[in-house]
Amino acid sequence: MNDHTLNDIAAHQPAATEGTLKMAARNVNVFYGAKQAIRDVSIDVTQENVTAFIGPSGCGKSTFLRTLNRMNDTVASARVEGQITLDGEDIYSPSMDVVQLRARVGMVFQKPNPFPKSIYENVAYGPRIHGLAAAKADMDQIVEKSLKRAGLWEEVKDRLTDSGTALSGGQQQRLCIARAIAVDPEVILMDEPCSALDPIATAKIEELIHELRGRYAIVIVTHNMQQAARVSQRTAFFHLGTLVEYGDTSEIFTNPRETRTKDYITGRYG
Amino acid sequence: MNSPIPVPATPRTPTDWNSPAMQNRIRRRYAAERRFKALGLVSILVSAAFLAFLLITMVGNGARGFTQTEIRLPVDFARSTLMLDPAALKGFGADAALAGADIEGVTAAAADAAFGDGGARLLSDGAWLSVREAIKERPEVLQGKADIWVPAATSVDLAAKGDGDAAGEAAYARLKAANAVQTGINLTFLTKADSTDPTLVGIWGALKGSLVTMFVTLILAFPIGVLSALYLEEYAPRNRWTDLIEVSINNLAAVPSIIFGLLGLAVFLNFMHLPRSAPLVGGLTLALMTMPVIVIAGRNAIKSVPPSIRDAALGIGASRVQVVFHHVLPLALPGILTGTIIGMARALGETAPLLMIGMRAFLASPPGGITDPATVLPVQIFLWSDEVSRGFVEKTSAAIIVLLVFLLAMNGLAIYLRNRFERRW
Repeated sequence: MNDHTLNDIAAHQPAATEGTLKMAARNVNVFYGAKQAIRDVSIDVTQENVTAFIGPSGCGKSTFLRTLNRMNDTVASARVEGQITLDGEDIYSPSMDVVQLRARVGMVFQKPNPFPKSIYENVAYGPRIHGLAAAKADMDQIVEKSLKRAGLWEEVKDRLTDSGTALSGGQQQRLCIARAIAVDPEVILMDEPCSALDPIATAKIEELIHELRGRYAIVIVTHNMQQAARVSQRTAFFHLGTLVEYGDTSEIFTNPRETRTKDYITGRYG
Repeated sequence: MNSPIPVPATPRTPTDWNSPAMQNRIRRRYAAERRFKALGLVSILVSAAFLAFLLITMVGNGARGFTQTEIRLPVDFARSTLMLDPAALKGFGADAALAGADIEGVTAAAADAAFGDGGARLLSDGAWLSVREAIKERPEVLQGKADIWVPAATSVDLAAKGDGDAAGEAAYARLKAANAVQTGINLTFLTKADSTDPTLVGIWGALKGSLVTMFVTLILAFPIGVLSALYLEEYAPRNRWTDLIEVSINNLAAVPSIIFGLLGLAVFLNFMHLPRSAPLVGGLTLALMTMPVIVIAGRNAIKSVPPSIRDAALGIGASRVQVVFHHVLPLALPGILTGTIIGMARALGETAPLLMIGMRAFLASPPGGITDPATVLPVQIFLWSDEVSRGFVEKTSAAIIVLLVFLLAMNGLAIYLRNRFERRW
C-alpha cells in the first residue's frame, strides 16, 4: 500500500466537525468466557461524523461494534463491563429495552443477509413489527423512501415482489441498508459492509454512506484502510483488543501519534 | 518491508512420473476405483432385487384379495317360507321386520334347489346378507323370483382365482358351465370391517382405526415436539441440564416400541383408566414414540437456518419470539414436516405397542370415535396372518398392499412438502 495515496485520500476528506455527541463508551471491557476481547475502550461517536474502526483481524473492532446495539447479548458467554450511553442514556441499564435500542441503533452486516422474502417485505418488516405504518399507503411510502435513500429504488421499483435473495450482492447489501433505514434509526452500525462486494458495488455503498452522513450517526468497521480514509471523518485504530489511537481521519492517516498505528497503515503488519 | 529469507540452493532431482513404481501405483489406483464401483453396483442390485421380490410377492398374492367371486342365486320368494309383508319394509320398520325373518334358511334352500344337494356350501356364510340387502332395496322381489349375486364360499373363490383344491375346482367348473359365476371388484373388502369369514372381511375398519390413531398422534406429538425443539434450540441455555435433556431425547428415540406399549398399558390404562383398545390410548402411546423423532428432526432443521437471518431480524429490533415465529420457524418448517411425516410413517407401521394396550380385539365394525374400540392396519395384518382359513392368505396380502399404499402416500406428501417449501441460499 502506498502512503501517498492514503495521505491524498485522507487529505481530501471534509474536516471532522466537532459534532454533537451521540454515543459514548467509557472503559468498556468485553469478555467471552474467561477470554478478554476488549480492554478498557473509551470512544465517542458523533452525529455529524462517520466513525471508522480499523485494525488487523481479531483485534476486537467487530466485537466492540456489536456492544453498541447489544448484539453480543445473543452470545451466551459474552459479558460487557463499563458504560455505553446513547443520548446520555445507559444502554446496558435494566430499564433499557433491548428491542427498542436495536430499532434506534440499526445494523448492517458483513455478508448481505436479506430475508428470503420479497424486496418489499424485506423493507416493510421492521416498520411493521414496530407499528410505524398505520395503513398500506403509509407502508408503501416508507418502503419507497427507504429504497430511494439506499439508492436502490430505480433498480427495483418494477419488481418489488421479487425475492430479495435474487438480487446481486451489492444490491442485496443496499437492500439491507434500506431495511435498516426503514425503522428510522438514529445510529447505523456497519460491520465490514463491503467485504463481500466487488469494487463497483463497494463504490456505490461508499457513495451511499456519504449521502447518509449527518442524517444518521454512522459507525463503520472496515479492513480496507483506503475505504476508511475515503468514507470517514473520525478513525479509531484497534489492536489486540485495545484502542490504540482515535482521532480525525486526516490526522490518523497523515500524522499518526502512535508507532503501531503508523506501522499498520503503512502495511508493516496486519 | 520484509526482506526475503535466503534459501540455500540444493540440487533438485526431478520426479520421474514414468518410473515402474509410479506406473504400478497408477494401476492400483484405477483398480481400486473399479472395485469400488463394482461393489456399489452389486449392492444396489441386491437391494433392488429384494425390493422387487417383496413387491412382486405382495402384489401377486394381494391383488386377488381385492376381487371376489360371486354366484348368481335364483331365489323364488313367492314359494319360499319367508313371511314378509313388502309394505312393512318401507321406512324405519324395515330392519326390525327383516330381523324376524329366516333369510338364512331361505338362502340355503334356494342354493340347494339351484345347485343340487350341498349347494348351500358353495355360498359364503354371509351370502344371506346379500339376499337381505336385495330385499331391503327392492321389496317388490318378494312377490316373485329374482336372481341375486351372492359371495361364493372360499373354496369356490380360490378355484375361480386358479388356486383351489379338487372339490373347489369341480364346483367352480359346474357353476361356470351354468354361467352362474363371476369375479368382480370386492367392495366389501374396502368398506367393511373384520369378520370370521374370509369372503366377508373388510379393511376399512382397520384403515379408519389407523387414521384416527394417527390423527391423535399428530395432534399431540407435532405441537409438543416442535415447541420442544424450538425451545431447546432458540431459548435454552447450554448447560448440564440441557445436555442431559438432549441425551435423554436421543435415547428415547431409540427405545424399542414394545417398551412404550408397556408404558402406555401401565400409565394410560391401569393408572388413568382410559378405555381399552381405543385409538385415544393408541395415539397417546404412539405420540410418546413419535415425539423424540420430531424433536430431533426439528432441532436439525432449526439448526440449519443460517444465523445471519436471526442477526438480520434482531438487528432491526425484532424480539426473540418474533425472530422465531416470523423467520426461523417458516424456514425450518419443510425439514420439520419431513421429520414429522417420517416419524408418523414409523408410528403407522407399529404393531407391538398397540398389542400391549389391547388394540387387537376382533371388531366387526369400524370405530366411530377416538374412544371406541378399534384396531389398526399392521395389527389387522398380524391377526389375519394368524388365521387358519386359506381365504385369509390373500386378504393378508391385500391388507399389506393397503398399508404400503398408505405409507407411500405419506412419504410422497413429505417429498412434496419439502420441495414446495424448501428455500435455498
